[in-house]
Amino acid sequence: MIPMMVLISIICFLITELQPGDFVSQYLDNPRISPAQIELLKKNLGLDDPGYIRYLNWVKGIVTRGDFGYSFAFQRPVGELIWERMGWTIFIALGAIVFQWLLAVPMGIYSALHPYSFGDYTLTVIGFIGLSIPDFFMALMLMYLMLQMGATSIGGLFSPQFVGAPFSLAKLLDLLSHLWMPLIVVGMSGLAGLMRVMRGNMLDVVSSPYITSLRAHGLDEKTVRKHAIKNALNPMVSIAGTELPNVFSGTIITAIVLNLPTMGPFFYNALLNHDQYLVMTFLMFIAFITQIGNLLADIALAVLDPRIRMS
Amino acid sequence: MISLAGELIQKGGFSVRRIFLVILTVFCAVMVLAAPFVEDEMLTPNSNPKMGGTLYLALSGAPQSFNFYGTLDSNAYSVAGQMLVGLVEPHPVTNAIRPALAESWEVSENNKEVIFHLRDVKWSDGTPVSADDVLFTFNYFVMNPVARGNSIARFTIEGELVIWEKIDERTVKATLPAPYAAFFTVLSHAYIYPAHALESKIDKEKLDSVNDVWLTNTLPAEIPANGPFMITEYITDQKVVMTKNPNYWKVDVYGNALPYVDKLEYLVVSDAQVRLAKFMAGEIDYTAVSARDFPTLKERELAGGPFRVFLAEPTQPTPSPIHIAFNFDTDNPKLKELFKTTEFRQAMEFAVDRERVIDEVYNGLAVLGGVPVLPANKAFYNPKIEEIRRPFDLAKAAEILDKLNLKDLNRDGFRQYPDGSKFEFVITVQSAPQEYQDVAYIFSQDLEKIGVKANLQILDSSLVGQMFGAGNFEAGIRAFGNQPDPQLRKAIWQPGTQLYYWHRTTRNPETNAPIFENMLDWEKRVYDLFEKGQIAMDPTVRKTFYDEWQEIYAEYLPVIFVCKGMNLSAANKSLGNVEQNAEGLLSYASWTVFKN
Repeated sequence: MIPMMVLISIICFLITELQPGDFVSQYLDNPRISPAQIELLKKNLGLDDPGYIRYLNWVKGIVTRGDFGYSFAFQRPVGELIWERMGWTIFIALGAIVFQWLLAVPMGIYSALHPYSFGDYTLTVIGFIGLSIPDFFMALMLMYLMLQMGATSIGGLFSPQFVGAPFSLAKLLDLLSHLWMPLIVVGMSGLAGLMRVMRGNMLDVVSSPYITSLRAHGLDEKTVRKHAIKNALNPMVSIAGTELPNVFSGTIITAIVLNLPTMGPFFYNALLNHDQYLVMTFLMFIAFITQIGNLLADIALAVLDPRIRMS
Repeated sequence: MISLAGELIQKGGFSVRRIFLVILTVFCAVMVLAAPFVEDEMLTPNSNPKMGGTLYLALSGAPQSFNFYGTLDSNAYSVAGQMLVGLVEPHPVTNAIRPALAESWEVSENNKEVIFHLRDVKWSDGTPVSADDVLFTFNYFVMNPVARGNSIARFTIEGELVIWEKIDERTVKATLPAPYAAFFTVLSHAYIYPAHALESKIDKEKLDSVNDVWLTNTLPAEIPANGPFMITEYITDQKVVMTKNPNYWKVDVYGNALPYVDKLEYLVVSDAQVRLAKFMAGEIDYTAVSARDFPTLKERELAGGPFRVFLAEPTQPTPSPIHIAFNFDTDNPKLKELFKTTEFRQAMEFAVDRERVIDEVYNGLAVLGGVPVLPANKAFYNPKIEEIRRPFDLAKAAEILDKLNLKDLNRDGFRQYPDGSKFEFVITVQSAPQEYQDVAYIFSQDLEKIGVKANLQILDSSLVGQMFGAGNFEAGIRAFGNQPDPQLRKAIWQPGTQLYYWHRTTRNPETNAPIFENMLDWEKRVYDLFEKGQIAMDPTVRKTFYDEWQEIYAEYLPVIFVCKGMNLSAANKSLGNVEQNAEGLLSYASWTVFKN
């Protein structure tokens, strides 16, 4: 895992270095800032050092002090800045994933048990509509519709007066009245894929010999279905592992459009501003989470499926 | 007062009436001295304002810091502008300089000394505003070269710094190395900081430590204000909550304390479309509107929408009118020669269809503007440029190009150099804002009609900025941030400065000094005019210098100014005291609006 992270960090650093310009270039056409001041700023931020020295200093900070560097724009440690935005990011992403799975799994099962029926086709069409509409566009459309219907609060997670207000029932209701939109927008995009995987697995399992044998033993349809579903879910667990990084980075444009206080727009701005250590730390975090996700999926699979444990 | 009363007792014996009179007189004198600032009636037309409520405004991004001098972030500036003021301030509508924390000042005969008398006011935490605050602010923030958002260049005159001295608790003296006409204008951007709250937090041995105060994780109670509002809460990436400063020193003409609203909340909304949607849904009370959205919004207003849309004469100098530049130093020797030729640039001006740009790009919501002083800027605008400005006339443009020996020799519809090689150039333009691209497109279409091949190169704005900065372009379209006083934009419009990007060889990049031998004659004159305008103190004399600068710009066209969008904004109907006057100026200030 550690060699992997080192390799990823080198690749990410190289890519951020390839971006033309640096943090101070955005100030070059500001008449208020003299060329001397730009030089000074560059020197103070260490931007006049060659790339490999900056990389080594950054790694040294992480290894020796657990210090991931400092945001050029915010002038604060990047760890702190990312941490501040973690809460809502996880909340929305997990919410969207739960929403997606709660819909996709039953839809997949239904489709597989009633293949080529009217219901199967309807669910498939719904899933594919979700897949084919870009999520930021769907977000804009939903906001437009809400505005036409006379909504008094558009985008975000709360009406302005509830942002930062102490928790109350009214605040919870306000949250729910805003939350459905990001959940649908983010959730719908992955719905079709998951549903099709579930449907395929289920079809495979249903037509496998052991299911026929269960039926031959005279088990009732409900018990047979239980066994089929349990086996068809296995591949879904590995998919769940790879979903984890999406939780943090998958919805940047949607989050900007829906004005969500998550990490996506924050990361996007850091990229545009060449806020290098912030970008690097965020990318490393995603890489780390991806690996953790895969590890968790393997463990979960082993727990769920005795065959994997045995081998 | 006591000694005065004592004298009276000695002279005329004890008299209750006389003592009372003296006390009354002294009391009145104190009242006059401590009189709050009465806000211009123009901003408070409604004599019966409603007090309280929350004003909702939007920021286009989360502030990167709350330290005005420690950041270069415009959202941070918006927040700072609500909580801090300087010794003087610009009138929110007319931009005229007026007293703020300094209630009066005296300028010495030689125009080199200014003595400021501070108003008797308190910070929001109750500490009096004092001369120490002023000295602390200038020495450690404004004129600190390592403060990220410093203004040291604006307080350096002929290579020397302005010197600040304390005379007493409420009097400070500024000594200028030389007379400096824009002194009060630059002063209006220098917000005064609280020494009592910050002195212990900075390391005076390590001057860049001033950047680390008032970051976004600072407790709001540690940020006292001297402006209309103070920060009371910051919710990361979502909103900045500001509360009325109880010690704010302005009242309206009816005697009410300002601001009228209790709270001002800045919602962080990064996407412009979402900002508009939130405004239409009533979540935001006041917003700027783009020319593209204006017709839709106006239509909705007329259909009974809950807001008012304003179309006002442009007064905000930023952005400056869009301009087209030809690089005098471009690598291609033939183009270089041509771009340096005044007649060529004049032909190009004849090919700019400003009316069409205003109509098609701005939905008709733009004015011709100036070069680049706006017509609304009465202090500096020179109307003579309107006579010099060349109207759209392709025949004339073609005639000049013919005279310059650029002719279509091979009858392919495009002009060639006299040696038969192809005459073409690239117009570099940034992808956003959309207007820039549209102007480039219309211009290149018209050029094609007279056989000039202009290829468009549309790139990301940061890349385009760097290309212009490095002189790596042939022709380009862009706009800068501007200021009402030309002195503050010397760094752009004076030859030999860092942003005079169409003729970079007029400046030595190593020493930052101008190179006169590389300047054309009229450029040398512009250089002198800016130097003269900087030290002349008499406004009339100053205007003559800047008048001549504008005439030279209009005649010789270092860049071709196209047009300037109007001030478009919209306010929720529940917002009072947002009015447009007969001259088309819109009056609005966060401390004089109220919520119905």
